[in-house]
Amino acid sequence: MNRARLVYIALLLLMLAVPAGSLYYKLYVVQLPLQSLIPDVSYKVETLFEVDGYGNNINIATFLPKNDSRQRIFDEQNSGGVFNLEIVSEGLNRVARWQADNVNGHQYLSYTYHVSARHVRYDLLPELTIPESYPAGLDVYLEAEEGIQVHDPLIENVLYQRLGLPRNSELKVLPTLQAIHNYLQHKLENRNFSGFTDAITALKLGEASCNGKSRAFVALARKLNMPARLVGGLVLTTGNKRTSHQWVEVFISGHWVPFDTINNHFAELPENYIALYYGDEVLFKHSGNINFSYVFSTYKRLIPRNEVGEALGDSLFNSVNIYAVFEKVGISQNLLKILLMIPLGALVTVVFRNVIGLETFGTFLPALIAAAARETGLLWGLVGFLSIVLAAAWVRRGLDWLQLLHSPKMAIMLTVVVIIMLAMTVTGVNYGLFDLAHVSLFPIAILAITAERFALTEIEQGSQKVWSMTVMTMVVISAAYVVMDSLFLQSLIMALPEMLLVVIALNLWLGKWVGLRLMEFIRFRKLIFGREAQQP
Amino acid sequence: MNWLKKIMYWRKMSQQVLSINQRNLEFIYRYNPRKFYKTADDKRLTKQLLAAQGVPVPPSYFVIESFHQTQQVGQMLTDLDDFVIKPAQGSGGGGIVVITRRDEHGWYSPSGTLWTVLDIQRHVADIVFGTHSFDLGDFAIFEQRLRPAPLLHKLSPWGLADLRVIVLEHKPVMAMCRLPTRASGGRANLHQGAVGVGINLKTGRSTHAIHAGMPIILHPDHGENLIGLELPDWKECLRIAQRCGEILPLKYLGVDLAITDEGPKVLEVNARPGLAIQLANDCGLRPALFDVVNA
Repeated sequence: MNRARLVYIALLLLMLAVPAGSLYYKLYVVQLPLQSLIPDVSYKVETLFEVDGYGNNINIATFLPKNDSRQRIFDEQNSGGVFNLEIVSEGLNRVARWQADNVNGHQYLSYTYHVSARHVRYDLLPELTIPESYPAGLDVYLEAEEGIQVHDPLIENVLYQRLGLPRNSELKVLPTLQAIHNYLQHKLENRNFSGFTDAITALKLGEASCNGKSRAFVALARKLNMPARLVGGLVLTTGNKRTSHQWVEVFISGHWVPFDTINNHFAELPENYIALYYGDEVLFKHSGNINFSYVFSTYKRLIPRNEVGEALGDSLFNSVNIYAVFEKVGISQNLLKILLMIPLGALVTVVFRNVIGLETFGTFLPALIAAAARETGLLWGLVGFLSIVLAAAWVRRGLDWLQLLHSPKMAIMLTVVVIIMLAMTVTGVNYGLFDLAHVSLFPIAILAITAERFALTEIEQGSQKVWSMTVMTMVVISAAYVVMDSLFLQSLIMALPEMLLVVIALNLWLGKWVGLRLMEFIRFRKLIFGREAQQP
Repeated sequence: MNWLKKIMYWRKMSQQVLSINQRNLEFIYRYNPRKFYKTADDKRLTKQLLAAQGVPVPPSYFVIESFHQTQQVGQMLTDLDDFVIKPAQGSGGGGIVVITRRDEHGWYSPSGTLWTVLDIQRHVADIVFGTHSFDLGDFAIFEQRLRPAPLLHKLSPWGLADLRVIVLEHKPVMAMCRLPTRASGGRANLHQGAVGVGINLKTGRSTHAIHAGMPIILHPDHGENLIGLELPDWKECLRIAQRCGEILPLKYLGVDLAITDEGPKVLEVNARPGLAIQLANDCGLRPALFDVVNA
């Protein structure tokens, strides 16, 4: 056995032993709970508005979520188009106001934020009674409002007749709220309409949507001297929707405790609820006659748990807590995740090239495009990749005719790629395809080189060859995307970044793998399968 | 357990085929140190090294090394009626121009295209600027046009047929003849449509032939039989291939020879010879290679 072979084996073992050791250390010495290694679910929420302008001034306002003990908001991004954004505090709420003068034509604007929220559940003590009085400042949560008719006789009627609560005796918090919650949950039909329903109408009709039920809840609670408020927000599920949601919070022993009588959450709120505003507000306010429409797009994302850093505490790993380091310099965790996943994308490319035998443009182009496509989505990523490469290769053909030297020609190609990207971004924004607009995150130089390779391959090996390579490249981009987008692998790599050494180990192994590629079995099929076995 | 027997047999057969991965790892990387690649990639250097040791190569008339020399091309061609222009570092036959005759207007390629002095100067300038060799400055070699031996001229009247011999540690391990076709445009590359003919190393006779990846018996253009033909000067071809392996510092080589009416001459050598030769011979390379490795 020669020295290179020994070093190879030693390196391979090292790349496997170090992650194994650090995994052992984390789990058994630091006693990091396995649970904390599994990343938090977070959501990327994009609110997309569309309006039509006829030379008028347009104002649009909505509420943006705030950080609190339950929900964490990060990586906010305004794509305002022609609109100027101003964010102000109004009472408890954070209001975004977009404004533009003399607006013409169909306009888009979008606001994106990431949110990670905790599931909360309150255990209410059974012996807790409703207090006589509250600290100053809570009075407002006991008063009647336009849609919350606390003093209507029907409210009293519901409480004492239908719910059968005892009059003139000290009420306990838990059974009282249970009675109200169960009544609204089970005796009022859920209706899925979007109009305004006040408390009295909801109770009279015996059916309501979330806002009617919530107003009824608040009115009933306030009547019994329990401070209560409406909460407006979103229930996050992957996909597009227009519906927002309302639930209520009741002030109990110093806490605002949530209740949702549409989805039957009693004193608890799931992690996919995000609060946008407090009080009886309208989610969107906008100038008239602008053909206003909106949609919420939600994507599930993963982020590391903050507990990981805390749990590792003073251990050896805290100094290399990359999440904390990234957080300090304000680099988004999304970028960190992309960085961590690129080696996996490269591994996928290696497998496709060396084990399956697909010919792709560039060794790492597929991984890099797949990484960039996380922002555009796979479909728009492929569309963007193909259009940029084709357009640049077409331009190159013209440059070829002019007979330019290599370096200046490549510089022109690079510029052309930049121009095409900007054009796609502008087109994307103009037509509301904000995903497509993210093609500007694509690796520019690599695309220019790919266009050059595309053109050269077409000249040297024909258009059939170049198209088969393009299709194979797109297949590998898709495969790299699927792997890099896998929640399981993301959790694994993000919780245990030392797994990257295992990726190196796999590449070391593949680097010495001399077997036939899958495509070679096809190429040499006559040599392998073409002959009948001779009988011994 | 018939299927198991079958799979084991396929496994055995697949172990005879040399894969790209194995060629790169165990032959190119091991036998061809990168610093010696230039002795194969630069045809002028290859020719100098081989000619110095008495290996026959096509004689060069002159070499154009820089742009300002292109002005002298017309003058240097005064006495030449036929010749070949090659980029020293071209690959896949790119940039090669063959001239077969001349009249008062200029020179003509086999297809009848007219090349004026200006056309030739422009082509040479392209070569010197690296158009055919990835923008590395290059030289244009003007060399004698080779006349193929009668058998090979009969088989491929549209372009120069060549003989590819794979040499490991100066031992020939496999050979094939590559015949340009009308579809390949005179080029002897299998993936451009040339015919590959497997040659038995001991006898110099053709054993098998492929075109576009499929086995054939008759030439696709003119219907000549391709199997059982005996190549002229076979012993000399093998001796020259072996000499290339001895002289050059590259120990895993594809030696490309032209069998001319004056005997075999080395056209170029390749430090990364392809794997299609296995298809042309209907036989995997591994047994022959490992016979040499284990010898």
